[in-house]
Amino acid sequence: MFAYVTRRVLIAVPMLLVAMYLVHVGVSATVDPRSEFYVCLPRCQEGFDRITEQYNLDTNIFLRPFGYFSELARGNLGDSSSIGEPVWDTLKTRGWNTAMIAIPAFLIGAILSLLLSVYSARRQYSIGDYTFTGLSFIGFAMPSFVMALLLQHIFAVKLEQLFGIKPFNTGRKTGENFLQLARDVTLPAVSLAILGIAADSRFGRASMLETLNQDYIRTARAKGLKEGKVVWKHALRNALIPLVTLWALGFSALLGGSVVTESIFSWPGIGQVFLRALGDADLDLLMAIVMFGGVLTVTFNLIADVLYGVLDPRIRLG
Amino acid sequence: MADTQIPPVLDEDVVAPQPGGATTAEVEGLSDKPKSFGRLAWERFLGHRMALVGAAGLLLLIALFWIGPYFSEFSFDERNVRDRKLGPSTEHWFGTDEIGRDLFVRTAQGGRYSLQIGALAALIATGAGTLLGALAGYFGKTVDALVSQLINLTLIVPAIIVLSVFANKWGADALGLALVLAALLWTRIARVVRGVILQIKEQEYIMAARAAGATHKRILARHLLPNVVGAIAVEITLLIGSVIVLESTLSFLGLGVKPPNASLGTLVAQAKGDIDSDPIRVLTPGIFIVLIVLCVNFLGDGLRDALDPRAKVDDGGAGKAAKKAAKAARKDAKKMKSSGTVVVGA
Amino acid sequence: MNDESPLLTVDNLSVGFVTKGGIVQAATEISFEIRRGEVLAVVGESGSGKSVTALALMRLHPGNAITTGDVDFDGRDLLNMSDAEMRSVRGSDIAMIFQDPMTAMNPVFTVGSQIVETIRVHDSSVSKQDAWSKTVDLLQLVGVPEPKRRASQYPHEYSGGMRQRAMIAMAIANDPKLLIADEPTTALDVTVQAQVMEVLHEVQAQTGSAMMLITHDLGLVAGSADRVQVMYASRLMETGTINQIFYESQNPYTMALLESIPDVDGLKDRLEPIPGNPPSLLNPPSGCAFRPRCNYAQPICAVDKPVLVSVGVEHESRCLRAHELGADTEALV
Repeated sequence: MFAYVTRRVLIAVPMLLVAMYLVHVGVSATVDPRSEFYVCLPRCQEGFDRITEQYNLDTNIFLRPFGYFSELARGNLGDSSSIGEPVWDTLKTRGWNTAMIAIPAFLIGAILSLLLSVYSARRQYSIGDYTFTGLSFIGFAMPSFVMALLLQHIFAVKLEQLFGIKPFNTGRKTGENFLQLARDVTLPAVSLAILGIAADSRFGRASMLETLNQDYIRTARAKGLKEGKVVWKHALRNALIPLVTLWALGFSALLGGSVVTESIFSWPGIGQVFLRALGDADLDLLMAIVMFGGVLTVTFNLIADVLYGVLDPRIRLG
Repeated sequence: MADTQIPPVLDEDVVAPQPGGATTAEVEGLSDKPKSFGRLAWERFLGHRMALVGAAGLLLLIALFWIGPYFSEFSFDERNVRDRKLGPSTEHWFGTDEIGRDLFVRTAQGGRYSLQIGALAALIATGAGTLLGALAGYFGKTVDALVSQLINLTLIVPAIIVLSVFANKWGADALGLALVLAALLWTRIARVVRGVILQIKEQEYIMAARAAGATHKRILARHLLPNVVGAIAVEITLLIGSVIVLESTLSFLGLGVKPPNASLGTLVAQAKGDIDSDPIRVLTPGIFIVLIVLCVNFLGDGLRDALDPRAKVDDGGAGKAAKKAAKAARKDAKKMKSSGTVVVGA
Repeated sequence: MNDESPLLTVDNLSVGFVTKGGIVQAATEISFEIRRGEVLAVVGESGSGKSVTALALMRLHPGNAITTGDVDFDGRDLLNMSDAEMRSVRGSDIAMIFQDPMTAMNPVFTVGSQIVETIRVHDSSVSKQDAWSKTVDLLQLVGVPEPKRRASQYPHEYSGGMRQRAMIAMAIANDPKLLIADEPTTALDVTVQAQVMEVLHEVQAQTGSAMMLITHDLGLVAGSADRVQVMYASRLMETGTINQIFYESQNPYTMALLESIPDVDGLKDRLEPIPGNPPSLLNPPSGCAFRPRCNYAQPICAVDKPVLVSVGVEHESRCLRAHELGADTEALV
């Protein structure tokens, strides 16, 4: 197991560095952090030189990433030019904020998609199955921004207009106490969760149906087990295996921040600051976010594979 | 990142890849004489209600987007400052935007743009993916390793970065945007094609065919093509849906389609500031995105069922019929209550 | 119940499957008995309805099946009892061994825990430890080497033959009165088949349970069954004792089946395959279902549906010419 994990990490690290290199070159080629300074030269020569120095803008564009990497090797993530603080600090606070909506979104998504999978597979072709199938198709076809805008509109405006209540906050993180925070978190988290549920519940239904048709399910029934035990123990334990992989990958994506949802709900997470960094050509912050996302992807891919091995005794990692 | 990652293709069949066999077609008909693959596929497609709905819906949408504007007296960028932010009326069917442009014509144009980019990007992605996947599967070893690493690399770089960096630069024209989107979306079809070819290479019936003296051409035409063509057709269709969602998201963030062009995503972005006073303007383009993607996904699902030679014989229709019959049988049993007993499956 | 009464009485059992193309009659008006402690072999080609009949007894057929008829098991009405009651019968009074041991065990649980579960679901007073040691004993009984160690292994760590032994151990865990073995050796290597059959007979003899042995292999039946029941196209074709079926068959289908199996003594010059294929159940031929493939068919066979007629003590055959066939059959062709 240890050897397996080590090998996977050793393969992933160069891959991640290549990806970061490409992003660095790509961003350098398309956005110029000095764009604001050209109009005021030579009066603002000092600032111009400072930015040139910070981003090694004198060197060839293909060599520039190495300057960044050598700093990185010394543990220096650099300073964020758009926020004006060390990148590490930004990453920490923003990452925590993102986790505050990502974790509930993941839990809601996993639990609901699991329940829906089992329900739809057990009651195949029932009205409920058709309803959830239809809803999941719509949820699947709906871009995240439409979903978020709709939720925001319904809960910010419509509920208040019609009933005079406003159960959830519809923008930015305000809450100091837990209840306030829960009101802040609910809508962005649900909005993110729905996207995952639409896909995962379809997948889970198919997986569950497949499993329920297996011979060992018939064996379990032939033993005289109750249907509940057949479904929740014998079938689910097998149907879960592919679902867990899906969940792990979905969770890593959630933790990496959500650009659209965070923007719409003014949530100060990674996704929101990413857009800002992109607009301001804040290269150090961008690189840090890319690395963060890459590390998450690699880690959770690994977790998914390890879990696969744990859940399915037939799989041997190595 | 969560809400801007490449939307997964809705695929229920990935759960359990079953060993393929082109001969299932013959078994199905039992005593009937075997039908050609194409004919069977066509019949299965026609029997797939959702696919027909999807195809019809898509045709309607295309007609609306391409022909619809001819019935409107307004042009795409004609402004009328007095008629700003109007609601739907007989004159302006979908209302007007904040500088008085007719939203029906703009929605139609946006729909056209979205569909064109979707189809273009899906074609490019599928072409590139098929080629690379086939090479990897066929040659194996070094080529396979290279392609696999390229796939991993594509997956590790956040889609939104590539999109925002490159689409920002080239997003102004449709081809550039389509190329960037395709660069992100080619991996899935590559993996599918690679997998199919690897699997088929190992199949016993291929060896049997080879042993029986079949030519490479015949093996390719009879065994490989039905398996890969189906996957490709399905992939193109479903990819169009993914591209449209991705493109609209990008355009919503201001990183995709640039003015004067409009896509459904930019229309939503334009209207979002007024959502509380005027939700219709957000809803209309939003609904059209959902409709397009729904139709495309239905169509893709139908194509998969029709073209997949391993498609299951049993289907929803039989299941429903069974429920009905079982219900009727239970009723009869109650009525009779005589010696005959009716039990409906456990 | 006294010991003279049959253990299982099946009366007029029919099973149909609703499909898009119509109702497929998978078992038609099946009636038979199984006596205590006896081995009844049910023989037929695939699709003849033998497995469906067995699953119907256990009420384990798929959801689109419609079952009619009466099944009496030891004085209990199997088809009419509640689901809960049926569950208490399954795995306890009637146990089943399935065809493919590679897929019949849940891959994510150890073999031992699956047997323990079978024991404890019917008697929750048994402690886990006791159930586990009983499981080890059972595995020992069916000839699994090192049963202590192998009980905590997963199914994929077993070979096909070992897995089928484990399935047998699971089936006899609660001393069932009836064992249903559905093609128990079909999926196994030829060398292993004989061993598994031997184990099956040993445990059947030891526990004194009756057995319904479903197979397409008449050769397998020869050494092991008391009575034989031949099925074709969803119906019973012939029933009789093992000697009646093998040496005094009065049914063209049974005879054709016998012609088609190899003879260990090498007395046969050549094997005679049965021409053609079994008929479509959705659209059966008129008259006798076997008529299109039958050597003895006459015009009347296309018109009249044969019924089961008695041709001897406990010997029945479904053929319009059953009585003629007992005599010099060669002359009849």
